[in-house]
Amino acid sequence: MIKDITIGQFFPGDSFVHKLDPRMKLVLTFIYIVAIFLCQNFFSVGLVFALTVLCVLLSRISPRVILKGMKMIFFIILFTSVLQIFYNKTGTTWLDAKYFQITSGGVFTALFVVIRIISLILFSSLLTYTTSPTLLTDAIERLFSFLKIFKIRVHTLAMIMTIALRFIPTLIEEIDKIMSAQKARGADLESGGVIKRAKALIPIFIPLFVNAFRRAYDLALAMECRCYRGSEGRTRMRQMHLAFRDYFALAVTVCVVAAIVFFNIQFGSVL
Amino acid sequence: MSLLEVKNLTYIYGKGTPFEMRALDGVSLSVEKGEIVALIGHTGSGKSTLIQHLNALLKPHSGQVLFMGKDINADKALTRSVRFQVGLCFQYPEYQLFESTVYRDIAFGPTNMGLKEDEVRAAVSEAAAFVGLKEDYFEKSPFDLSGGEKRRVAVAGVMAMRPEVLILDEPTAGLDPNGRRVILSLIRNYCTQTGKTVIIVSHSMDDVASLASRIIVMNRGKIAMDGSVEQVFLRSAELTKMGLNIPQVTQILLELKKRGYAVNSSVFTLEGARRELLRVLKEGGGAK
Repeated sequence: MIKDITIGQFFPGDSFVHKLDPRMKLVLTFIYIVAIFLCQNFFSVGLVFALTVLCVLLSRISPRVILKGMKMIFFIILFTSVLQIFYNKTGTTWLDAKYFQITSGGVFTALFVVIRIISLILFSSLLTYTTSPTLLTDAIERLFSFLKIFKIRVHTLAMIMTIALRFIPTLIEEIDKIMSAQKARGADLESGGVIKRAKALIPIFIPLFVNAFRRAYDLALAMECRCYRGSEGRTRMRQMHLAFRDYFALAVTVCVVAAIVFFNIQFGSVL
Repeated sequence: MSLLEVKNLTYIYGKGTPFEMRALDGVSLSVEKGEIVALIGHTGSGKSTLIQHLNALLKPHSGQVLFMGKDINADKALTRSVRFQVGLCFQYPEYQLFESTVYRDIAFGPTNMGLKEDEVRAAVSEAAAFVGLKEDYFEKSPFDLSGGEKRRVAVAGVMAMRPEVLILDEPTAGLDPNGRRVILSLIRNYCTQTGKTVIIVSHSMDDVASLASRIIVMNRGKIAMDGSVEQVFLRSAELTKMGLNIPQVTQILLELKKRGYAVNSSVFTLEGARRELLRVLKEGGGAK
């Protein structure tokens, strides 16, 4: 069901990864994603993958959850790697059937693609697994607050994001309830052609929208009652401070990027 | 053969995630035709999960639900027909009202059953009469109604399917005392007029005492008690431990007894308490 999607979900905890400053996590994730695409040989890609696994282990999130999240992209990985094997014809030929050839270049690229995609997904989902949505938007707000000089209302945008993220689970739960209520009256959501199915959604979406608007109105009223006026003169309940572990993580990342560059120069590219 | 039978039902929320929770744990019960059963329990005791199994909205992880002796999850056609025969009305009408008029909203269920136009009209009129909605409400928008009226439309929407078993989830929650009384007396009338089975989920012991003939108490996904109103409310110490109460009038009578008045404390309704107190007063039963 809808509830089984784990990508983007937050799993509370107090591991090293959880405790990292969200701003630092955001920046490091970005650097790391760039690093993944810098890798050109097996030494560097191996290093990146090892670091990913290490981070996953450090986060102490059950591997089952992580595998479940990966299940959704399994076919994308399979599809792209198969394509790579058959379409890349560089390097030495290993197998020469009549209609297709398998070459070293093809297999290497396929392997690279698999490792890159897996590391990419693992690392970026680790960010949302270990950071609560509120902290994450908070971090985004601070990292981008320099945009204020261009008259971009960063605080407002961040607040919109926070509220939107906050209400995703509420809305999902509500869809579930509405679907149950309508199914109990014999609504048939599973059979019929496109038009019939689209029509069957009306009894679901009307209550959903009506409730969402009512809730938005209530929320606006509640915020106004507490004198919310945007970012102007607003202090924060949670101050963010960089700790030793944040600098440590930064140092490790810098070393890894340096190592990747070194490996690339030293061992050349296999692609 | 019982009308509705639940055998060793187990259901786990979020199976395979860190949020796993056993909502139902080996629940068995059977309901006979014409019974009025109240299902009570603390929040999170598994009441709502249980009732959603009775019309196959949730599929058990183990165990069975039998309606007239047949497993309701056995095949799709049966599941669909059971949805009409075990009518479930949820707590919040906001989750089900969607049509432009009250009439069309009540007609949603019967129309899904595939009834003809005039049969639908008859079913809607009958259901509206049960919940005391006059015909001049039919053309109003359900979103313009008051909370109590919305609730009545929602209940009518389920009654209109003429189910063998009517399940109501917290039918009085969030209503003012008057709206509450109205709903309760409507349900009572429905029971006496149709003789159909009714299952009510409730937090209010006063409502339960005045309506039900049998009480099932749920605690932590299991059935803690199952018996007549009297049998259950006599075990007030256990109920308190589960975070539940006994009816207010019974609490008053128990307190009077404690202070030495010769009252019979196994009385659970307001009317019964009035009679009991008058009896005691007549016999001159002052404090000893």
